[in-house]
Amino acid sequence: MIQHLLRISHVSKHFGGNVAVHDVSFAVDEKQIVGLIGPNGAGKTTLFNCMTGFFPVTSGEVIFDIKKINDLRPDEVCRLGMARTWQRVKPLGSLSVLENVMVGAFSVTNKTRQAEEIAMEQLKRMGLTDYASKSAGSLPIGLKKKLELARVLATHPKLLLLDEICGGLNHTETETILDIIRSIRQRGATIVFIEHDMKAVTSICDRIVVLNSGEKLAEGSPEEITNNPDVIAAYLGGGHHA
Amino acid sequence: MKQITLLTILAAAAIALPLVIGENPYITGILISVLMMAALSSAWNILGGYAGQYSFGHAAYFGAGAYTTLILLTNYPTLNPLICMAVGIIAASIIALITGAIVFRLRGHYFGLASIAVAEIVRLSVLNFDFTGGAQGILLSDVSLWGLDLNSKNPFYYAMLLVLAVTLGITAYLRTSKTGYYLQAIREDQDAASSLGINLSFYKNKSLLLSAALTSVLGSLYGLYIRFIDTSAVLDLRLSIEIILTAIIGGVGTLWGPVVGALLLVPLAEMLRSNLLGDALVKAGLVSETSALGIFLKENLAHAHVLVYGIITVLCILYLPKGILGLFRRTK
Repeated sequence: MIQHLLRISHVSKHFGGNVAVHDVSFAVDEKQIVGLIGPNGAGKTTLFNCMTGFFPVTSGEVIFDIKKINDLRPDEVCRLGMARTWQRVKPLGSLSVLENVMVGAFSVTNKTRQAEEIAMEQLKRMGLTDYASKSAGSLPIGLKKKLELARVLATHPKLLLLDEICGGLNHTETETILDIIRSIRQRGATIVFIEHDMKAVTSICDRIVVLNSGEKLAEGSPEEITNNPDVIAAYLGGGHHA
Repeated sequence: MKQITLLTILAAAAIALPLVIGENPYITGILISVLMMAALSSAWNILGGYAGQYSFGHAAYFGAGAYTTLILLTNYPTLNPLICMAVGIIAASIIALITGAIVFRLRGHYFGLASIAVAEIVRLSVLNFDFTGGAQGILLSDVSLWGLDLNSKNPFYYAMLLVLAVTLGITAYLRTSKTGYYLQAIREDQDAASSLGINLSFYKNKSLLLSAALTSVLGSLYGLYIRFIDTSAVLDLRLSIEIILTAIIGGVGTLWGPVVGALLLVPLAEMLRSNLLGDALVKAGLVSETSALGIFLKENLAHAHVLVYGIITVLCILYLPKGILGLFRRTK
């Protein structure tokens, strides 16, 4: 049997009587980029929250690296090597850009100087070096998204969960982020990413999982998904050819 | 280099100060109050300023130190006061651990409210137990350590100065360490912090314990210095609030903010209490002593220091949200 890096097994999440996620299963193999798509309210972010310990699952299991992790706290999940970004960016506003990334780096080192080196390396990769001493709260949204990515990469994750990292960005900014994601993949990271931009998803993902109203609607390669009539009806709109 | 020179001069001045002013218990007393409030506020700042957890109950840890020390010394007069101080730290740590377990589940305003509740529970318990002296408080007739003259105020001046230096040293170290960065991350955004691998409850409790232990040492010193304590002196909500206001006015989350706040507020409160301000206005001829305003000031200004604190705080929040030190900080 193939060992998956991440396995979501029959995960459900209820909020009182509301079913946000219902019986969703899928697996992610190493070095894959898996896209998680679906209309607003499909349960994508809820699923991320369940995977990273922010919400307890109602039923089902999240298995990361052969370990059951759905009872762990978010910080424990991060230190195991599964790290996330936030759809609504969460910069540590009064800290500098460099310090933000250092906070991420401290999960792999206890030494301030080493954390600073790791952070500078990530800032360089994102083209944020010039902003290192600026306060994170003052950055425009495009740079905040990059900061979010630099900070999470500084934790050296094996699996990266990106929640609409391109949301609110213009075309050029989106392309830069996608290039960065491709280069991360080349270094051997595995990525699950939530995205609305169909073009971004199909251009970069190996496989796509489609959620609709909390349930898994389809799973497959980008071609299979864009030609799947159910997906077209639910997500792309009836009669529309992607 | 410039900073080190400045710091050395400052330290030398602080050490030489009692020698310069000579035997003047009144002035030394005010200086001790300044040092104590600076140290208390700095200790609070580790939890409130860096970790962003606004505790409104720090009087509980101050009282734990003061009461433990005085209860032990009245029962076992031969005990070394430093051992009493250590036991005080343990008592404060126990209260801190229990507090942390309960109140750190809460965020934001709820945390602040819960911290008041815990401190009030401590205060009311002390008020109603017999071994704590209840409403009468505790009087310590005599105390000795290493043959020092503890009736003189100078040993306490230096002791407070030492605790302040240690507290500032810890804060300065924290700022450049992993723990310090983690505390600030928690202050800025708890969800982001936890998603970056920060164990929220561990680091909050760590900063609370550190803050509580330092506060308790100051409580013990205060008890030994004053030798009479009751709940209104060492466990009152008013004390907790003065500690916070000192930090807010000086600059929350900065190294020197609490010191600046204490240097401003403690002498100001003393001037109001001893009516120096009212007298000065009369002397300057601004207000006639026999006029209605003069009589009003004489009768009421002495009780107004809390009101003045309040007014300064409101002005600070409106115009100097980063405290007085915020004025001098480079904007990034």
